[in-house]
Amino acid sequence: MADTLANLALGFSVALSPEVLLFAVIGCLVGTLVGMLPGVGPLAGISLLLPATFGLSPTTAIVLLAGIYYGAMYGGSTTSILMRIPGEAASVMTCVDGYAMTQQGRAGPALAIAAFGSFIGGTLSIIALMLLAPPLASLALKFGPPEYFALLTLGLIVLAFLSGGSMAKSLAMAALGLFSGTIGIDLMSGYMRFQYGIVALGDGIGIVPVAVGLFGVSEILLAAGRAVPPKPQRPKLAELVPTRDDLRRSVGPIGRSTVLGFLIGIVPGSAHIISSFVSYALERRLSKTPERFGKGAVEGVAGPETANNAAACGAFVPMLALGVPSGPIPAVMLAALMVHGIAPGPLLMEQQPSLFWGFVASMYVGNLVLLALNLPMVGLFVNLLRVPYAYLYPAILMFSVLGVYAAGQNVIDVWIMIAMGGLGYVLRKLDFEVAPIVLGLVLAPMIETALRQSLAMSSGDYAIFLTRPIAAGLLGVALVLLVINLLPSRNWRAQLGIEN
Amino acid sequence: MKGLPIILAVVMTAGLAVPCAVAQEKFPSRPITMIVPFPPGGVADQTARPVAAALEKVLKQPVVVSNRQGAGGAVGMAATANAKPDGYTIMTALSSISVIPEADKLFDRQPAYQMSQLAPIALVSADPTILVVPADSPWKTVAEFVADAKARPGQISYSSSGLYGTLHLAMEMFAHAAGIKLKHVPFNGAGPAMTALLGGHVQALASGPGVVIPQIQAGKLRALGNWGPKRISAMPDVPTFQELGYKEVEFLIWAGVFAPAGTPEPILKTLRDAMGQAVQDAEFKSAMDKLQTPIAYLDAPEFKKFWDADAQAMAKAVKNIGRVD
Repeated sequence: MADTLANLALGFSVALSPEVLLFAVIGCLVGTLVGMLPGVGPLAGISLLLPATFGLSPTTAIVLLAGIYYGAMYGGSTTSILMRIPGEAASVMTCVDGYAMTQQGRAGPALAIAAFGSFIGGTLSIIALMLLAPPLASLALKFGPPEYFALLTLGLIVLAFLSGGSMAKSLAMAALGLFSGTIGIDLMSGYMRFQYGIVALGDGIGIVPVAVGLFGVSEILLAAGRAVPPKPQRPKLAELVPTRDDLRRSVGPIGRSTVLGFLIGIVPGSAHIISSFVSYALERRLSKTPERFGKGAVEGVAGPETANNAAACGAFVPMLALGVPSGPIPAVMLAALMVHGIAPGPLLMEQQPSLFWGFVASMYVGNLVLLALNLPMVGLFVNLLRVPYAYLYPAILMFSVLGVYAAGQNVIDVWIMIAMGGLGYVLRKLDFEVAPIVLGLVLAPMIETALRQSLAMSSGDYAIFLTRPIAAGLLGVALVLLVINLLPSRNWRAQLGIEN
Repeated sequence: MKGLPIILAVVMTAGLAVPCAVAQEKFPSRPITMIVPFPPGGVADQTARPVAAALEKVLKQPVVVSNRQGAGGAVGMAATANAKPDGYTIMTALSSISVIPEADKLFDRQPAYQMSQLAPIALVSADPTILVVPADSPWKTVAEFVADAKARPGQISYSSSGLYGTLHLAMEMFAHAAGIKLKHVPFNGAGPAMTALLGGHVQALASGPGVVIPQIQAGKLRALGNWGPKRISAMPDVPTFQELGYKEVEFLIWAGVFAPAGTPEPILKTLRDAMGQAVQDAEFKSAMDKLQTPIAYLDAPEFKKFWDADAQAMAKAVKNIGRVD
C-alpha cells in the first residue's frame, strides 16, 4: 500500500507537470467532440489523431490518446440524450431513456446524471486498476474462446430483458441483428457470406452506421411525418439540475454498473460494447417499476453510461499489466507506445514506472476535467434544443453523413446508415424496438467466432464448454436466466405478446 | 547528304523536346498520397509514416498517408491497383499483397486486384517470424517440438492472426516441411493471437520479433526457431529453420512501397531514387530503430525478384493449406 502511494505520488508529479496536464485536457476536449460527432467513435478518433502524437513524449502521447478515449465515452452520451443519435456503439442504450427524458423536458438531469455516472464509474475503476491490475490481468487471460463464448451467450440471453414490449417482437429484431452480423468474410473458413461481390462488405456491416441510422435517422423521419411539427424546447435553469429523486434512483445503478462494466472491460476482446446493454437489462430487471424503462427512466441513463466508462477503464488492465491489446482501442494505444520505442510487455510497469503511474494519475485528472467540462456545458447543450427543428434536423443529418463517412472512409457506410434509417422508420411505426438489432449485430460475429475457435481447440468436442470451470459457470448462469424467463408463468402469453 | 541536317535537326529538336516536356510537368508538382491498406497503428502504418516523412524531405512535396483499410487489406490494395498511374498515388503494403489474390483464386472469387497491376518501388523492411511457446511448455528445441507433434498429430494447437494470414502461412510452411500436423485456431489479428498463447489456450505461435521479445524478456515465452535466413541479434541463441535442415522454410513479414502498374518509367525512377535516399535519412533510421524493425532496403529490380520468389512460396503455402471446411 505504501508502495502504491509512493508510486501514485510519482504518477501525480508526472500527470500534473504542465505539458502532460495540457495534453490531458486537450485529449478530454477532443474526445468529447469526437464522442458527440455521430459516427466518429473513440476508435476512429484515436486512429485519426495517432499520427499527431508521434512528435510528443511517450507519456504525453498515451495520456492524450487515453483522454480522447474516455472523453469520447463521456461525449457519446450527449447526442444520444439530446438527439437520439448514438455518438458511438456503447451509447446506444442511452438513446432509449435519455432521449425520452429530453422529450419530457428533462434533458438537463439526464446529461448531469450521465456525467456523474461516467465520473464515478471512471474514477472507481481507476482505483481498481491501480490496486489490482496484475492479478486481474492474469484472470483476464483465463478468458479463452470457450469462456468468451459463454460470456457472450449470457449477453444473448440479456436480449430478452432489453425491452418492455412484446418479447416475440424483440426476438425477431434480435434475429435480424444476428443475421446481419453474419455478413462478410467467415473468419474460420475464408468464405464470403452475403457479400454479393461488394469488396467493402467483406468486413461485415459496421455497428455505428446501423446504430446512427436506426436511432437517429429514423427519429428525424418520424418527426418529419408528424402533422404538428415538434416545438423547440425552452429549458429553464431550475430544470437543468437532477431532482433528489433522480439522484436517489441513480445511486444503485451507478454502483452496480461500475463493478459490472469494469469486469466486462478487462476481458480481452470487444466485449466492452455489451457492458452498456447488460447494465441496462440488469437495471430493468432489478427495478420495481420496469414499465418506466423506455419512457424516460433515469436508471436507464445512469446504468449504461456508468458501465461504458468503467469498461473503458477496465480495458487498460490487460494492456498495462501484460502489454497485450484487450481490444481495438488499446491496440492503437500500444502501437503509439511502440512508435516511441517502448515495447509494451509484462515489464512495462517496472521498466517505465513514470509512464505507467503518470498514465494512471492522468486518468484521475482526466475524469475530473471531464466532469468540470461537462457539467457547466449541460446548460449550453440543452439550449441547442431551442434551435427550430427545420434547421436542427438537416444539420444533424449532415453531421451524421459526415461522421459515418469519416469514421470508415467508405461510402457504403453512408448507404447503410440511410437504409437503416428507412428500416428503423418502418419498424418503429410498427412498434418494434430497434435496440435488439444493434445488440444482435454486435454479438453475432463475436459469438460465432468464439464458438468455432473453441471447437477448433477441442477438435469439435462440445465438452470443452463444460470442462472449463469459468465457461461452465457462465453457461450455468445463462441457463438459469433462460429458465426463469421461459417458465410458463401466469402471464407468459402476455410476455410473448400473444394476447396483445 | 542533303537530308542529314534535317535529320539532325529533328533529332536535336526531339532531344530538346523531351527535357522540355519533363520540365513542364516536373514530378512531383503536387502532394502525393500514400495508401496504407490497414488501420492506423498497424505494422504497415507504423512503417509507412516514417517512410512518408522521409520521402517528403527528398521530393519536396507533402506525402500524405491515407489509411484505406478493409477486407484484410484488399480494399486499399485494389484502390492502388486501379488508381491513375501518375505517381501521385503510391502504397505501403505488406507480404499479404501476394496472398489475397491466391486466396481469391482458391475460392473461385473475382479477384479484388491482380499482382500485375502493381509495380514495386522498394522493399523497406523484412522481419522473420519467430516460433514461440509458453516458457513452461515441455519443448526446449524445434526437434522436441517436431517429435512430440509427430507422436500426436493434430493435437498441438497454435494461434494465428487469421486464416491465410501471415502467421498462419508461416506455421503451415514449417509444418509442411517438417511433415507434422498441427491444430490451427485463427484469431482476428496478431494481438489476440498472442493473448491466446499467453492465456494458455493454444500451445504455439509464430509472430514477429517486436511482439515476442518483450514477452520472452519477461520470462513468459520461449523462442524455438526463426524463419529468417539468419539469426537475429536480439536472440543469438535461437537457430533458424534453415540451420536445422528445413532448407525451404523461410518466411519474412515484409513491407514495401508500390505504385500502380503503368506509371511512366521516369516517374518510377524519381520515386525509386527518392526511396533510396529516404532510407538513408537519420530520422527514418531512428524511427525504424524504435520499432525494432531492421531496414532491409532493396531497389525495384531486386525487390521485384524478391517479391516474385516470395509470392511463389506464398502461393504454394496457400495451396498446401487448401480450403478449410
